[in-house]
Amino acid sequence: MSVNHEKEDKVPDGNHEKEKLHRRDFLKKSGVAVTSAAVLAGSLSACNSYAKNKSKPKKRLAMVIDLRKCYGCHSCSIACKSEFNVPLGVWRSWVKTIDKGKYPKTKRSFLPRLCNHCENPPCVSVCPTQASHRDEEKGLVDIHEERCIGCKMCIVACPYDARFSHPVKKVANKCDFCIHRVEKGVVPSCVNTCPSNARIFGDLNDPDSEVRKLVDTNKVQVLKPELDTEPSVFYIDLDKDAVGGHITT
Amino acid sequence: MIDTYYNVFHKTPWDFWIPLYFYFTGLSAGSFVLSSLFTVFGLKQLKSLAFTAGVSAVILLLLAPIFLVLDLGQPFRFWKVLVPWYFNPYSVVSWGSWLLTIYPIVLLIYCWYMFKEKEKMIRIFGIMTLPLAIGVHGYTGFVFGLIQARVYWYSAIMPGYFLTSAVLSGIGLIIIITLIKDKLIGKSTISELFTPLKRMMVVIISLDIFWIFCWKITLLSGTDDARASALIALKDPLYIFGVLLFGMLIPFFLLTFQKTRNSVRWLAVSSVLVLMGVFLMRYTLVFTGFKIPLS
Repeated sequence: MSVNHEKEDKVPDGNHEKEKLHRRDFLKKSGVAVTSAAVLAGSLSACNSYAKNKSKPKKRLAMVIDLRKCYGCHSCSIACKSEFNVPLGVWRSWVKTIDKGKYPKTKRSFLPRLCNHCENPPCVSVCPTQASHRDEEKGLVDIHEERCIGCKMCIVACPYDARFSHPVKKVANKCDFCIHRVEKGVVPSCVNTCPSNARIFGDLNDPDSEVRKLVDTNKVQVLKPELDTEPSVFYIDLDKDAVGGHITT
Repeated sequence: MIDTYYNVFHKTPWDFWIPLYFYFTGLSAGSFVLSSLFTVFGLKQLKSLAFTAGVSAVILLLLAPIFLVLDLGQPFRFWKVLVPWYFNPYSVVSWGSWLLTIYPIVLLIYCWYMFKEKEKMIRIFGIMTLPLAIGVHGYTGFVFGLIQARVYWYSAIMPGYFLTSAVLSGIGLIIIITLIKDKLIGKSTISELFTPLKRMMVVIISLDIFWIFCWKITLLSGTDDARASALIALKDPLYIFGVLLFGMLIPFFLLTFQKTRNSVRWLAVSSVLVLMGVFLMRYTLVFTGFKIPLS
């Protein structure tokens, strides 16, 4: 009886698969028809460039910071400072350090910080001139410096204090994943300099990238997930106590 | 016990100019609302202040954007907020910049017709200016109310609270202006305005106290950061004495207590206190918001 049942169960499944195949075939054909029509229409109109952009796979630059490897040497902060000649008093990247517990039961935790390059960035939505923007082609949050008026609304809205007003340029400034290096095929300066390889950089939308693999196979955390900003900086082994300010009132 | 051993805190981005800017747009919107009470809503008792209030609304609104531009890192690029293809519909400041441009223009036309005493046109432009006046100050409430990162500001009462305190400061200012005008001209226009303006002040102070109560209660029952921000405010002498005691409770007392409520002198004192209180409300609101560390 049970065998019969199995058979009965399988028969419609097989049919379903065939149907699916047919459907897939149909979809393929119609897809080809639609895309060729679209390309035709596109070449005739200004939509052409838009269609090309759409067909390109979207990039999402991301960083995984493996805190099991970080020992708080601050090399990343220094590399970042020298890469961009960042003025005194402001930092694009730094390492927050906390101590907790009472001797001898204590723990020191590190939290390397940089712009989270959120998918849903609050700094971009508040910008009155679209100077702060999410560059979908490059896959990061960036600033058109010549368009920034220095209203500092983005600095106010960033929940991570990652932005600051550049004391010399007088516009908003922050980590840009060293895009000038990345475009030439080298990793960001902080990643390059990290002696323990705690920082791993890549395109999260590329299934073969190391960051994608690390995010998929590890227990990763992001900062302040409750704000729904969808950061692109992921931490492995994050200490919750290192996140956010602690004020005593 | 958690001890932050090393961290980077970036400088508070906004300067003294920002609360001053909010104060001036508030005064302008508040003055205009008073002016419209006669020209749009037909409250005849307030006829004598309508023109003065309209003119002071214009002057205050021409001053306000100066403070805003002074705070910009790149003041000479201020025009970029008005480039149509740079417009960001998600940005409150984008909308506010357009309101700040359109409102004074319509307001000027309104004042022009008041000067020419063309009643029908005054009413039409009054009706057009009213939503713009509410928008030009209401948007500043949204500037704060939509910042999720700053717990102290992230509240739905912000636009309402900003608007009522704007009207409060507007009343205070118009009372002072009327008293000065009376001294100069030698007439007594205040006697007619005394009762309606006093009553409005009492009602709006009560409304402001209600807003503050709702806001602080929700903060105190919120997250750790929210509670901390409310406690920072409630331990700040500038807030306790400046905003609450001298800015609201003492004027409320002076305007309702039998021995003081019928005196023009005490009304003037209350007006000055209210003007100071509303400024300190803007000031403490902006800078208490920055006191909660984000990283």
